[in-house]
Amino acid sequence: MMEGQKDRAGKDCRFDTVLIANRGEIALRILKACKDLGLKTVVVCSQPDRQASYGTLADTFLCIGPASAGKSYLNRDAILLAARITGAGAVHPGYGFLSENAAFSEAVEKAGMVFIGPTARAIATMGDKIAAKSAMIAAGVPCVPGPDSALPDDRAAIEAIASKIGYPVIVKAAGGGGGRGMRVVPDAGALHASIALTREEARQAFGTPALYMEKFLEHPRHVEIQVLCDVHGNAIWLGHRDCSMQRRHQKVVEEAPAPGIAYDIIAPVAEACLKACRQTGYRGVGTFEFLYEDGGFYFIEMNTRLQVEHPVTEMTSGIDIVQAQIKAAQGIPLDIAQSDVESDGHAFECRINAEDPDTFLASAGTITALTLPSGPGVRVDTHVHAGYKVPPYYDSLIGKLIVHAPTRAEAIVVMRTALAETEIEGISTNLPLLRALFDDDGFAAGGTDIHYLEKWLKRRSAS
Amino acid sequence: MSAVDFSDPATIAFLAAALQAAGVDGIEIEQSTRKVRIVVERDAPGAAPLVQTLQTSPGATQLEVVTAPMAGIFGANHPESPAPSSKPPRKVAAGETLGFIRIGSVLLPVKATQPGMLTGRVAKDGTVVGYGDPLFEIELRP
Repeated sequence: MMEGQKDRAGKDCRFDTVLIANRGEIALRILKACKDLGLKTVVVCSQPDRQASYGTLADTFLCIGPASAGKSYLNRDAILLAARITGAGAVHPGYGFLSENAAFSEAVEKAGMVFIGPTARAIATMGDKIAAKSAMIAAGVPCVPGPDSALPDDRAAIEAIASKIGYPVIVKAAGGGGGRGMRVVPDAGALHASIALTREEARQAFGTPALYMEKFLEHPRHVEIQVLCDVHGNAIWLGHRDCSMQRRHQKVVEEAPAPGIAYDIIAPVAEACLKACRQTGYRGVGTFEFLYEDGGFYFIEMNTRLQVEHPVTEMTSGIDIVQAQIKAAQGIPLDIAQSDVESDGHAFECRINAEDPDTFLASAGTITALTLPSGPGVRVDTHVHAGYKVPPYYDSLIGKLIVHAPTRAEAIVVMRTALAETEIEGISTNLPLLRALFDDDGFAAGGTDIHYLEKWLKRRSAS
Repeated sequence: MSAVDFSDPATIAFLAAALQAAGVDGIEIEQSTRKVRIVVERDAPGAAPLVQTLQTSPGATQLEVVTAPMAGIFGANHPESPAPSSKPPRKVAAGETLGFIRIGSVLLPVKATQPGMLTGRVAKDGTVVGYGDPLFEIELRP
């Protein structure tokens, strides 16, 4: 199939073979979406992933390097060469690895292929926290109070900025992300020492000492908005999610919609996000992440890729986000209007990690037995099976358990049953933790903040 | 570090358990006098591992598999070479070019790392091969 057309710049977006530059459950998820769209697939892998059963579903399954991600899934040259010898017309980066690497997006396009994701420029803008904040302010997206520019070096000027925002404030590295390179400053007394420390960390970890400062929110929730844009200037949002259940900034459970946040409250914020997409020429799928506290939204960052938690929004909107992303990359105009986007019922996703439920240490090894749940409203996204060997080299995510029901309370019940049905033997997983969490009253009530899980874990280990 | 005694069952059992726990199928350990391969049973934790001594007495035959150094299109002959190289079995020297991996306009030679008897060509001419795919088999005769 060769559907699609040219984008606004006149570039031909058509392709019939997609190279999937990722592994695990997301490689399989993308592979299925490609097959449903009638596209051929090339899946590249590392040496230990040769065993992956999804390899047999791909038209071409090609090992491109050894176990080390740097020599395989992060090896731009190896991936581009693999695309060349297999005749791929597009590259889907999945999430993680090279998905938010502007230079990779550019290299793919320079090689005459389509990058299934935004342009290098959009990735670079959103990857730079200061540039991203400026773009958001320009579109009217609400941001955390604080200047949209790097902190000056002058001590008095820094003091003035901090007192204008009001303590507590947070100092962040402009090139940082994922919870790294940031420090909370409770009062004026700790200001200069905190700045000096964070600046040095930023210089070493991110290659730039640029810092910025924001108001520190004490009890926020993590709420995010899923957008979908084509290459013709059309943009829609597909719903919102709550991903406040986090441990060390890693999401553990996600849900859609975010409980207790009415459509009227979030719709104007989502509209501003779409304006930002149009202004920056954004294409494909993306997620605007916000902190939500006392009825206010504060932009944190934009993820310029498909997200791990995209299935919860697929369940409530009925839209296959991966297929929509690929069609947008092919230059096909959006065939859904904003007024057609529904939010039906409630969905949860549990991330099943191969890790010790108490110490959180990764647990590699062979899955000796596996029972997965099924039934109405239950979906499992996974690449593992009995006999599968979880390699120790990559992320510990081995699957996602997703449920959908008419109400949040019903969805919790469905998830409890699904978690009880799930059995994974041979390795340790976080299933006991997930089961306990779905029996917790605070979680069942909804609307918990981003610190809830860490505090809950502390209480559990103390008792 | 003193040499580990791989004839000791306790040593083997300890290593096998560690490999199993790490999800590793096997390990090859090279000592000055010999090379030992330990392979664990993936689906049977606790089962006795397979222990192979690969190199002990001089004169024993050993098989070396030459694998693809990167993904590309395999060719046994240089595209501009008038005469195809003679078919196996034949003697090869260390460093001798056995075939090529082509990626676009780049041609990467695949060489024998050790001298021996080239006994087989595993990959087919003109096919796409992945990193680590077996291409040739060489019998090493010291």
